[in-house]
Formats: sequence, C-alpha cells, structure tokens
Amino acid sequence: MATFYEQVREMGVKQATIAKADEIVERVTAGLNTNDIRSALKGDEPRRPNPRLRPHADGFWFHIRPSFYHTEVTHIYPTFRLGWLSTFMFVWETITGIFLMIFYTPRPGTAYSDIWNILTNVPLGALMRDLHRLGAEVMVLVVALHMLRTFITGSYKVPRQFTWLTGMLLLVLTLVLSFSGYLLPWDQLAYWAVTVAVSAAEAAPPAEIVGKNINLLVRGAPTFGPGGLLRWYLLHVLVLPLLTGIFIFVHYYKVVLHGHSLPPGREQIGEDTAKRVPKTERTYFTPDIITSELMWTALASLLLVVGSLWFYSAPLESQANPLVTPLHVVAPWYLAWSQGWLKLADKVFIAFIFIPALAVAFFVMPYIEVGKSRRYADRRVGLSVAMLFIAFMLISNWMGSPEYRVESSPDQEVFQELLPQEGHSVILSVPYEDLEIGTFEPGQEVAGNPALTDALREFEAAMNRHSCNLESDQWRDDCKPITGNDGTVTQYANNFTKDAMPDAEAVLIVEPEQHDMKRITLQIQSESPEGPVSTNTLAFRHLDAGYEED
Amino acid sequence: MQIKVVIGTIAFMLVMVILGVAALFEPARLGETTDAFVGRQVEKGAVLFHENCAECHGAEGKAIDCVDFAGEEKSCVGLPLNHAPLLCGEPSQRLQQVGWQSSKANYVSQTVAAGRPGTLMPTWSQDFGGPMEDYQVDQVTAFVLNWGEDPELCGEEAIVEAVDWPDSWEDLPQGDAANGPGLYQINGCAGCHGDPDNPGSAAVGPHLGNIGNVAATRVPGISAEQYIYESILNPNAFIVPECPSGPCAEPSVMRADYGFVLSEQDMADLIAYYLTLTSAP
Repeated sequence: MATFYEQVREMGVKQATIAKADEIVERVTAGLNTNDIRSALKGDEPRRPNPRLRPHADGFWFHIRPSFYHTEVTHIYPTFRLGWLSTFMFVWETITGIFLMIFYTPRPGTAYSDIWNILTNVPLGALMRDLHRLGAEVMVLVVALHMLRTFITGSYKVPRQFTWLTGMLLLVLTLVLSFSGYLLPWDQLAYWAVTVAVSAAEAAPPAEIVGKNINLLVRGAPTFGPGGLLRWYLLHVLVLPLLTGIFIFVHYYKVVLHGHSLPPGREQIGEDTAKRVPKTERTYFTPDIITSELMWTALASLLLVVGSLWFYSAPLESQANPLVTPLHVVAPWYLAWSQGWLKLADKVFIAFIFIPALAVAFFVMPYIEVGKSRRYADRRVGLSVAMLFIAFMLISNWMGSPEYRVESSPDQEVFQELLPQEGHSVILSVPYEDLEIGTFEPGQEVAGNPALTDALREFEAAMNRHSCNLESDQWRDDCKPITGNDGTVTQYANNFTKDAMPDAEAVLIVEPEQHDMKRITLQIQSESPEGPVSTNTLAFRHLDAGYEED
Repeated sequence: MQIKVVIGTIAFMLVMVILGVAALFEPARLGETTDAFVGRQVEKGAVLFHENCAECHGAEGKAIDCVDFAGEEKSCVGLPLNHAPLLCGEPSQRLQQVGWQSSKANYVSQTVAAGRPGTLMPTWSQDFGGPMEDYQVDQVTAFVLNWGEDPELCGEEAIVEAVDWPDSWEDLPQGDAANGPGLYQINGCAGCHGDPDNPGSAAVGPHLGNIGNVAATRVPGISAEQYIYESILNPNAFIVPECPSGPCAEPSVMRADYGFVLSEQDMADLIAYYLTLTSAP
C-alpha cells in the first residue's frame, strides 16, 4: 500500500483520507471495510468471499463467537437468552464493582463509613451501589434459571456433559461471589448473616482439628475481623472473578465446539446435528446476532437502571457490632434454603454430608442420566423430579425465614415488627410531622393523620397476631387454652409459636427528646404465671433520618 | 433486523436520558442522604447517652434530675452539656475559656473518648481502655452537639437572662444555708470540688469542707462572704496555689458562667451554706 503522502499526491486529500479511514476500519474489524459494514446493516447479501466471517477467523474478540447460529436457537425459545444474560450480568457486575472499588477499603474501621461516603458524597454513588446489588441478585436468579432451562431441554446430554459441569461450577462461583460481596458493607446485616452461615464450617468433624482450622482459614481469626474482611474482599474482587471469567470461557468454548443444542423436538432421538447447520437455516453473526445482542444489552441496562432508581434500594443497617446480635438474623434469599435445612437437622449432617452429596449429584448428573431422548414427552420422570426439587427448594427457602419456627417471646415479636433494632420499621416510616406527641393505643384513629392511623392499625394487627385474651378468644379461633403437665395454661396464637400474650395491653408513647428528634416508646403489659409483666422498647426518630424511603 | 436497531437505539438513549436526569437530582439527593446519616447518628447517640451519660449529666443534659440505674434519685455529678456557653458558637465560650484550639466537635468527642482522668468523667473510647468504639463516640458527640442546633438554646430567640450582679455581697438577698447542698449538687460543684464531707474527694478544685474558716483568711481586706461571692462569679479573681492534682491552673478551669446560671437568691444561699462548712481536717 502506498504511504499516506503518496496517496494524497495521487488522489487529493479528501480521497486519500477516505481510503485511509477505510483501511483502518478493515484492520480494526479484522476484515470488514466500511462498505461491508454498510451492506451488513442494510441487510444485503454479502460479497464473495464472505468478509463477515473473517473477524471470527482472524480477529481476537470474535474468535470465540460462532460465525453463524442455527436459526432455531436465535429466538426467545428455547434459550430465553439466559446464557447471554448470565454473561451480561457478570460484565455488568464487574463494571459497577470497579466503580465501587475506587471508594472502598476493606478494613472494619472504615468499610462501613466508606459505604456511607459512597451514598452521601459520591455523585451517582447510591445508583452504582444499587445497580451492583440488584445486579448481583438478578445474576443469581438468571444463572439458576439458565441451569433450569438447560435441564428442561436436556441440553446436558451427550456430548455436552462437561459443559453442564462447568456450568454447575459457575453457579457455585456465582453464589460464593454474591455471598462474599454480602459481607463487605460490614453492617449488622452483612456481619451476622455471614457469621451464621460460616459458623457451620466450625463443626467440620473432628471439630478440634479440622473444624477449628477450617474456621481459621475462612474467617482469618476465630471470629470475623480485619483478617476475615480482607480475605473475603480478595475472594470477591480477585480470585472469584478470575475463576468465573476463566470458566465462562471454558463453558462458552464447549458450547461453540459442540454447537448450541437445538430445541428437543427438532432432531431425531439420540442425534446431535447441532454442528451441521444447512445453509438455509443459518443466522449469521454479522449483522443479525450482534444487532440482537446490542439491543438486548441496551434493554437489560434500561431495566436495571429503572429498577435501581425507582424500585430497588440496597439495604444498609447499623455498623457491625460483634457484641450485639440482632433478632431474626437471616441469610440472603438465595441461601435461605440452607438456613431452613439447618433448622431441621444437625449442622454436621447438613453442611458436610447432605449439601456436598447434593452438589456431587448435580455435578455428575449428566454422566448418570444417560437416556438418549431429549424430548419432553420421553423425560416425564426427570421433569417431574425437577419440578418437585424446585418446590422443595422454595419451601426450604421459606423455612429459612424467621416466620418458621424461630419466634422469640410474643412481646419481642411485636417490637420486632413495629420498632426493630434494624431494618424497616412501621412506626419510624411515619413522616416526622405526623408522629404527634402523645400516647396512642393500637388501632386508634387519629383525626387528620392517615399515616399515623395506618401505623396504629398495623400496631393492632401485630398485637392480634401475638396475643390472646384469657377471658374470651373472640379474636382468634386457634387461640385454644392448653393446660400443660405442670398445670400452666398457655394459649397458642398459631401453629408455630409457643405461646401468645394473655390480656395484653399496649401503648405507643411519643415524646420530644431534642428540638428535632422524638423519643418513641412501645410498652406492652401482659399477664404471666408470676404476675403482671411489662416490657418496653425505645427508639428515637430524627427529623432528617429519612425512614420514609426505606 | 431494523426494528432491533430502532429498539436498541431508543433503549440506549432512554438510559442516557435517565442517567442525565438522575445526575441533575444528585446534589439534592446527596444533601438529603448526608442529613439522614447525621440524623441517624444523633438517634444512635441518644440511645448511648441515655444508657451511659444521663446518670451523671441528666436525661436532658442539664445536670438536673439524675437517676441511677435502679431508678433512685441521685445528685448529678456531671457538668451540664445542654448548655449555651458550651454549645453556642464556634468557638463557644467554654472553649475560649479553656483555651481549646480545635473545633467544638473535637472538644466533645475528645472529652468523651479520653474522659477527664482525676475527675468523675470516665474514659469511654476503647483506644483508652473504655467500652465504646470510635463510631459510638462519634454518635454520642453528634447527639450532644445536636442540642446546640436548638434555636431556643443558641438562636436569636435564645433566652439569655443576665443578672446584673451587685459589687458587694451585702446587696444580695438574705441567704438560706439549707438550700446549699441541693444547689451544690445541681450546679455541678461536686464534679470538681468533690463531697464537702469527704476531704479526699475533690479531684480538680480545692476541697471546700473548711471553706467557712478559710475564706476570711485568703485575701487580706476581703471578708469571707465577699471572697466566696467573687470566687463563684469570677473564677479568675483569686486562684489558690494548690489544687489536688498539683498547682492550680491559671487561668482557672472553673466555669465562668455561674453568673448566667444562678439567681441572686441562689448565690446568697450558696454563700450562707459555704460559711457553714467548717470541718477542719
């Protein structure tokens, strides 16, 4: 090629510039000049030899992407684009995560205040944090759905067993990524959820040798502190993303190597024609697939941004305090199933036998389930087992919630619902001006104050849920008095609580504390076998605290 | 394929517009969130204050109406914190008096963190052996400083009743020594001068158990009552050489605002009371 100067002399500046730009485009795209791009966007037939295949053959970025897909796998069904969405979420998390990394140091003394700094001092910091946290939860869901889809369409069968295995590995990595990030804000929610989950490691038998050392390895010390936070931070930003990236490439390479599996009805049973795609059923990457992917990128970004701005807010409780355990510590929703199982069986059995056995079963499933047909009609047993397993997991998730089997005394339960130490509070969400000074009863109507009246109605509902009247049980049908062996009489408010408050009376007291802060006291008086008992809980509400948005 | 390009372009543009609008609202949101953070710090500070500080400083920080953990009334040995000379202005009157070079917030948080060794003010920060972490010290500080935001304390509507004090004690009303012990406790005298009946209890200022005898001898030509009167009103008037922890500080670290806090009757009662403290060691 002549040099630029020579071309200018030959064609004039304008022509030479156009020719040079064209040359640069062809080099950058590894094979497509501007005319080729234009014809691709217009939907024309490509020239021969087809330049649109060259970026895949010669270029780096497109090398792993197939130059065409079978048309039948390019629609919403059968993939629902979940594999693509999983990769998108990983990239999304990486980018939003890097933004947050700039403002965060993994030290217990500063981590929490760094989060507040991101929320109060960094422009669009709250949005980035919400995007990252929402993205994490969406990613766990999407990866799990992708696994479900792959199972349902039988895409794990020969020759794609190893693809399934790497996918399972990616699911585990996603869960650990999400969980390790959960700890980083170093608030009560983070600290205690991770402490409770990791405490299963201490029980690894024999506890004095293996369990103790696994615990030290995981937490960096007998309990979480500076060492533990640093370890989990390094896992979260370095080790796990690296492993996930590597295995995404392995996983995707296997998909391309075997060809993307076709919808089950398309092929003969036992046949795998995914690699041999007739010319009439090809959808080429340029321009159709890449256009599609760019569109879905824009749409997914839009959904995530809108979701974060209007519908989602990442939680932040008070600073982690190893000396104070909040009531009703709960695992994040994607791990609540394990917490549910831990309520049913022994820690050692669940953590070191049941869950590993389940994991192994999942990993090797394609090597065991060797039925030839991928069609739904031929796999009724397998699909039914999958549906039952999903139902089982959903029930286990619910069992992990505080509603199942872990209630404390009924007055504490009422306090937890209305004025918890951490988390959303019905009473504190009432706007500051509407929290009138005075004493209020449950269900009381406050004239001209709908917000407070609603809160008092919630107060009444909470009291009804947790109390029975010894004189008459007109509130609840299931409040039957039961006489124990020792003659004590208890009332049952529902199937899971041990007892409810008899003859309970409650008040909400709002007093001024400082010129812009109010003191709120919830007081409950009830009867016990030893006589009347009175408990109360206290909270303060500052004018600016902004609980309405929580 | 065309429709995908259109949809994608519109979605992308929407994202940019939404981000732009969000960025426009960002300064306001950042301000609101900062206020929310400070408000929540004050709330948590309130909890810590009532658990740890109200016993000595009073539930409203005015060093009156103190109760111990059993709910029994006790004397308030702490200084008033909800107090205009401490909290109003930067630097406030108290800060200028003690010669504090840093901010009001630092004064409060350092005092909470390190305490005042030798007095009844304990050390609170874990850095110095106390129970609180740094963020908890910050929360208590925020709560105390929040009193200073009250327009009724520091604002133009603040009620400042300055008593026009006469030059001679003889122009004060007749004093009743029986009110003395109560006034002694309420005005925080015990925090520095200790219990009059217990000679070793004074930590900062000279013990006053024998002041009834000593006052007349301190400054030639000035009567006992006049000596006591001027010492309360202006702590720098007469500084004795010896204090429990060494030479007495000059200028005096005694509060100079009793002139704003006491009424003429209170002053007369205190003078009468001090004259009755005559237990020579």
